[in-house]
Amino acid sequence: MLELRGITAGYDPRDPVVRDVYLTVADGEAVGLLGPSGCGKSTLARVAALLHRPTAGTVVIDGEPARGWRHRAPREQRTAFGVVFQQPRQSADPRLRLRDLIAEPLRASGRSRAEAAARVGELAAAVGLSEELLARRPHEVSDGQLQRACLARALVPRPRWLICDEMTAMLDASTTAALVAVVEDYRRESGAGLLVVGHDAALLDRWCDRTVRWSTLVPNKEDASPRKAT
Amino acid sequence: MTVLDVRDLSVRFRMRGGREIAAVTEASFRLGPGECLALVGESGCGKSVLASALLGLLPGNARTEGSALLGDLDLLAADERTLARTVRGRRVGLVPQSPAAHLTPVRTVRSQLEETVRELTGVRGRVLRTAAEAAAERAAFPAGHLDRYPHQLSGGLAQRAATALALVGDAPLLLADEPTTGLDRDLVDRTVDELRRHADAGRALLMITHDLAAAQRIADRVAVMYAGRIVEVADATAFFGAPGPRHPYARGLLDALPERAFTPIPGMPPELGDLPEGCAFAARCPRAAAGCRAVPDLADGVACHHPHPAAEEASRA
Amino acid sequence: MGNRITRLRASGLVVAAVVLAVLVVPLAFPLDEQAVDLAAKLRQPGLSHPFGTDEVGRDLLLRCVYGLRVSLLVGVVAALVATVVGTAVGALAGALGGWADRALMRLVDLFSSVPHLLLGIFVVALFRPGVWPVIASVAVTHWLSTARIVRAEVLSLRTRPYIDAAVSGGASRWRVAVRHLLPGVLPQAGLAAVLMIPHAIWHESALSFLGLGLPTHQASLGNMVNSARGSLLAGDWWPTLFPGLFIIVPTLAVAGLAGAWRERLDPRRRSELTL
Repeated sequence: MLELRGITAGYDPRDPVVRDVYLTVADGEAVGLLGPSGCGKSTLARVAALLHRPTAGTVVIDGEPARGWRHRAPREQRTAFGVVFQQPRQSADPRLRLRDLIAEPLRASGRSRAEAAARVGELAAAVGLSEELLARRPHEVSDGQLQRACLARALVPRPRWLICDEMTAMLDASTTAALVAVVEDYRRESGAGLLVVGHDAALLDRWCDRTVRWSTLVPNKEDASPRKAT
Repeated sequence: MTVLDVRDLSVRFRMRGGREIAAVTEASFRLGPGECLALVGESGCGKSVLASALLGLLPGNARTEGSALLGDLDLLAADERTLARTVRGRRVGLVPQSPAAHLTPVRTVRSQLEETVRELTGVRGRVLRTAAEAAAERAAFPAGHLDRYPHQLSGGLAQRAATALALVGDAPLLLADEPTTGLDRDLVDRTVDELRRHADAGRALLMITHDLAAAQRIADRVAVMYAGRIVEVADATAFFGAPGPRHPYARGLLDALPERAFTPIPGMPPELGDLPEGCAFAARCPRAAAGCRAVPDLADGVACHHPHPAAEEASRA
Repeated sequence: MGNRITRLRASGLVVAAVVLAVLVVPLAFPLDEQAVDLAAKLRQPGLSHPFGTDEVGRDLLLRCVYGLRVSLLVGVVAALVATVVGTAVGALAGALGGWADRALMRLVDLFSSVPHLLLGIFVVALFRPGVWPVIASVAVTHWLSTARIVRAEVLSLRTRPYIDAAVSGGASRWRVAVRHLLPGVLPQAGLAAVLMIPHAIWHESALSFLGLGLPTHQASLGNMVNSARGSLLAGDWWPTLFPGLFIIVPTLAVAGLAGAWRERLDPRRRSELTL
């Protein structure tokens, strides 16, 4: 079970974008988090993946509190999470070929080249990337193809939890459906839990076991974004 | 009456090493006043290149063929001077993809609107202020926010500010290039509803989008683009409702929607620099047969050797 | 466009010729630094001495080539040292953040607050004249801008989602720095290094011209311009002109190559000459 307990987080401690949020994802469960853009849901997703230190609150993973954030989190806690972000261009190191991009988490944990190559082959087939595409660099492929590679990279360490932050916001309907199918296959096969952050209610309702609305998580909705006028 | 008449428009990019990219191939469509045509397709299918071609904003290594008549002016043949002085803003209003990036960050909405009004209509002095406020009102941009800077605006208001700028020149053709990318659903609805309102006021609206729900909401007709070609042009009601699209690719796109079957089209679109012989969709198509090795012509609104039946055929069957 | 390519080719040719000359000529024509031939002093350029001779009768062409060799050595080594130091400081400041960043950047500010020629003069004054003090002097004063550029680049790269993805994938701090951050800043740092070579050459010449750089008997472009001042007043132009050209033309050529490189890195930024 993944529990976010009383999370307050943001970039300016005087004006946090997330205030005192509680959220739970059970093993094997898919939870959608629905909210307007700029509401702070991406920050919450980064906190859940141990990538952003909250100013208050804890993340509890299978009963064990997170022991740190970013590099201070032990490797086995960090790699329990696979993350996919909205913008594939920003999420891929522009110098790495797709093959190396996908293998990066395995290489980072000291796995051999041969072992990494085998696992990359498996995942490339799952996300629909050909050998020819694996040899290209990010600027030589489309957004959809690059997002496929980013998803494969997230799945490579066999994470217990998958966090998809607006994974399909830039993609067309067919690529969206294809990536969701890959995530669902993984979830079924591995029993991993899933947190999907997005702003498309139709998509989240169709994809997830339950959808949580951001407005129900935040104690005082008016406080959420006081400076933006609508 | 026709506002925009695009005939056999092709765009080729010449790349290093003599490679050629067929971004748009023989695209034809017409657009009348008060009409909204949605040009839909996956990213990278060539629809944004088509928009750039209409605005004369293609890079230097691009070559165009065919014609795009706006009244009696061929947009493809016009020189940069004509385009800059008489076309952009005056005869074609552009609603941009990311409005926040389209606005100058260091100037208020009012000053940008006033500058555009002065530039396009020649209004000066005290009248300028009221003219700019009127322009804001036409795009439903609240007067109370005119003195704000772009970063102080929400996504919806930034989109309205950009639309207000596009409307200043009272252009007969509005070109909206992915106007809803990254917006929330209710903001998408509001944005496209406003675009529809401008079409209802007599303008022709060409909306380029990969958001099928947005297209369904406001389009009169839908043009589907695949691998640089328009593979289907259809009435929006028939396309999104019964009997549905006739081209297998268009059917596949609709079936991928979470509101429908949520099943992807197998495979990925071909590269525009390395198109297969014959029908570009054949490799992914459930109806493909031997005859698909020839490129199908766009006939009766669909470019397919084995299309799904049209409305009248469907009712007869 | 054609113009740009011509300029690039000319720059490349000059740089290639310079490198070839400073490598080959000293092998074929050894130079005796102390040799004096007063009978042949201040000869006009001619067949036996294409650049003429100086006020003690030494062949100017040979001395120019030797001077260029010293200048290039100083320029390249000083630029390399400055770039390595600047990249290290900038990358550390950017990657560590917090108090380490503040301390390192205050150090940079401290160095920057002293006019850099003055600081350079101070450094050479601590040692006996020679090549190494000049290199140290130029390096000490030129790592600052590289440190700033590299830090800014690291700070902007650090917030990219692909760094988040690497952290989540289990990459150590070291791996993130070496595999994802450093390769991202190396093109900028390399460009800064090449742009610094002309600047360093000018500094060497300036220090030598002021009599603070290389020993006065050594063939150095700065020394030659300095010692030619007297004869220039007497109307003998060649001992000033040729060493001067040897400073200007190769530095412009190197700057031209660096400019082309910069345009490749970022086509929106038009090349401007920073000397």
